[in-house]
Order: sequence, then C-alpha cells, then structure tokens
Amino acid sequence: MLSLRISASSGVPVYLQLEQQIKQAIASGLLRSGDPLPSTRRTAADLRINPNTVARAFQNLEREGIIRTVPGGGTFVASLASLAPGLLKAEKLRRIRPIAEQLAVEASQLQLSPTDLHKLLDAALNDLAKSRRTRSSDPAPEGDQ
Amino acid sequence: MTTFAIQTDALAKTYGLGNKKVHAVDGLNLNVPEGSIYGLLGRNSAGKTTTIRMAMGLARPTSGEIKVFGLNPAVDPERVTVLRQIGYVPEDKMLAALTPRKLLELNRSFYPDTWSDDLARKVIKRLELPLDTAFMKLSLGNKTKSALACAIAQRSRLLILDEPTTGLDPIALDELLRLLVEDCTADGRTIFLSTHQLAEIEQIADHIGIMDRGRILLEGPLDDIRSSFRRLTVTGAALPTTNPAILSIKQQPHATQYILQSSPEAFAQDLAVNGATIVESDPMSLNEIFLELCRTSEASEADREEEFA
Repeated sequence: MLSLRISASSGVPVYLQLEQQIKQAIASGLLRSGDPLPSTRRTAADLRINPNTVARAFQNLEREGIIRTVPGGGTFVASLASLAPGLLKAEKLRRIRPIAEQLAVEASQLQLSPTDLHKLLDAALNDLAKSRRTRSSDPAPEGDQ
Repeated sequence: MTTFAIQTDALAKTYGLGNKKVHAVDGLNLNVPEGSIYGLLGRNSAGKTTTIRMAMGLARPTSGEIKVFGLNPAVDPERVTVLRQIGYVPEDKMLAALTPRKLLELNRSFYPDTWSDDLARKVIKRLELPLDTAFMKLSLGNKTKSALACAIAQRSRLLILDEPTTGLDPIALDELLRLLVEDCTADGRTIFLSTHQLAEIEQIADHIGIMDRGRILLEGPLDDIRSSFRRLTVTGAALPTTNPAILSIKQQPHATQYILQSSPEAFAQDLAVNGATIVESDPMSLNEIFLELCRTSEASEADREEEFA
C-alpha cells in the first residue's frame, strides 16, 4: 500500500511532496509498473488537501511518463522499462541536472569534500538497489511489509 | 480564461461611529477564481466579515465595486440570482428557538433544486450533530455544525464560510476538512472561507488572500506564495539593504537575516557572487509569512503616523 504523508508547515509545496513520495515509492519498489493509484478526489479527501494540488502532482508525473491515466479507468504506474530506455540521454541529464547543482551548492556551503559527497551518493544508490531486490524477491504481489 | 466567483475593485466600506469614521474595508482588490478553495486570512477586524457581508448583499459598499459571478449583489434583481447560488455560514450564528432539524427543513424548502438529503445526513453523521436540541441550549461548536450542515447540503456553486472552525474540536475540524474536499469541490464549485486559523487552511486552500486593515497585503496561488518567500541567514560585508525582494532585515550578532518576498533564488545568487556566505536558507510556513507581512505593514503604518505627529 502506498501511504502518502503531507507536512503543511514544511514550506515545501504540497504537490512537490506528493510527486517526491510517489517517485520514491516507485524507485524503492513499493509501487510497481501497472499498480493503480488512488483517484485524485480520494487522495485529496484522505489527506485533507486540495484536489487541484493532487491533480497538479499527477499531471506532472504523467508528463514525465511516470504514471499514465486511462480515461475513465483510473491512474496507473507506467512501465519504467518502456520509459527510461526511451528517453534520450540528453533528456535524462536535463531532468537530473538541477538536483545535482543544488546538491553541489549545499555540499560546498557545508564544506563537505567531493569524496564524501560521492560516498553519500553511492550509499543512497546502494540502499535503493537493496530495497528493490528485497521487494522483487517478495512472493506476495502487494509486497506490503 | 479564468472566471471569478468573487471580484472586487477598490471596494470600500466606511461606518460612522459617532463623529469618528471607521474604514472597515479600504480599497480592497480581491480576485477569487471560480473552482478554487480560497482562504481569506486576516487578524480580528481586518475587514473579512464586512467583505463577506457585501458579497451577500447584506451591506452596501461606500465606494468601489463588488461582483459575484459577474453580478452586483447590492441591487435587485441581480441579488436574487446571486443569493440562489451561495451557501453561507455566518460568523455570528444567532438562530433563536429553532432546532437543527427545523433549520435544515427550512433551508431544504428554500433550495429545492440543489438540496441533497443524502449529503445532509452524511454531514450530520460525520460531525455528530444533535438534531433535536434547541439552539439556545446548543454549544457554540454545535451551532457552527448546524450552519455547516445547511450550507453543505445546499450544494451551492459558491460556499462562503465566515470563520467556519469556531468552537469545533480537532476531530470535528478534521471531518469538516474532509467533507469540504470530498463533497464541496466537484463540478467547478468554489469555497471562499475567512479565518485566522492558518494551519488547517494551509492544507486545503489553493488560493490565499492576506488582508489587513481593510486592504489586501498579498494574494495569489498558495504554491506561488510559498515559493516566493524565504528566510536567508547571511554573513559577509556590505550586504544590500535596499532591494525589492527584501521584506525585512534583522541584524543578528554575527549574521544578517533576510525575509525575502520575491525571486529568492536570484537574490541568493547575487549575494553569493558578491562574496557573501549563505549560512541558512529556509522555506517559510504560511503562518510565518502571515506574521511577517502583518508586522511589516504595522511598522510602516507606525512610521507614517510618526511623520504626521
């Protein structure tokens, strides 16, 4: 089950919080290709947030090809296998560059060495791969723990 | 093209209090897009209720203009068309000897075209509203719930809530937020609510107007507002003190704190290019933005009064 949480006081726009959590759930294997997402109104009512905010997050994710909406049939996690190789490398880099730049700025403000930063990134990638492996070896299709 | 549920232009309402004039609303420009959940925020006596009363045709503007769905609520027959499309929960819920059940029946007979019995039952159940206690014996929270049940079951195109959270406990408040999102936003319907309780409004609103002393200090989509404001803590020499991006500056022992109100990234980049060090850069909650804006506006008002003294 996907469980979304919103912090209204964090200052991060709510639609971004939603986008990040859904991407995170997909990257960690909690949500898999073809899994249904709750409807916009259901999600909004459960979280007590504005339906337009949920719609905005879903639209952004759909534009990025992460989810797809079947008219009248709901919203589903798109097949990553069909998405990622289909993108040009230049496009992938364009999407990730702002985050890399921000990471570099934050790290240099904290005077963290490039080596430490690389280690941190490797560790995060390892964690993600590990989490994906445990979930894909899980026999239950929902993979709920 | 955006259409507006409520729009005002230089709206003003002045009350005479003896030989003193009170400018309750003082040149207000408000734009409430249709289909939005709009939160009008302001301190006590900022002019919120007076504005709502003018939208309902209950008070006449002294000058300026107010339109509800493009119509003037101050003149007949436009007022009738306006009122038919509005559900209204007033701030002072004076309901005399009725019971909630009788009040619901009364409202049901006024709005036969849009009223939903199912929705009325749902609100009563969710908010745990006692139906057969006379209003004089009901708590403030239960009076609020009765007015909410009537307004929600009416399924109006525009729902106006004046301080809708008065007297509600946290559970009832949470249920109310869920009801509003679930049952009052479909089909492009608009919710306009006034409050000084910011936390819950920050969750469900997508548009915000911050009002102080009869005027709008800030208005826009909540996400835009959130991304325009930022608190920067900076060290360095010869830091700028005048820039349209700066809302306020506080000198701390070893650093300078900026509250920024527009394009914070560009401002931070400029600082960094000029050799300053940005120690911290934090987004601000709506509550913090509200406090900063009201304080800054009060300070500039005080300056002006000193000039006259």
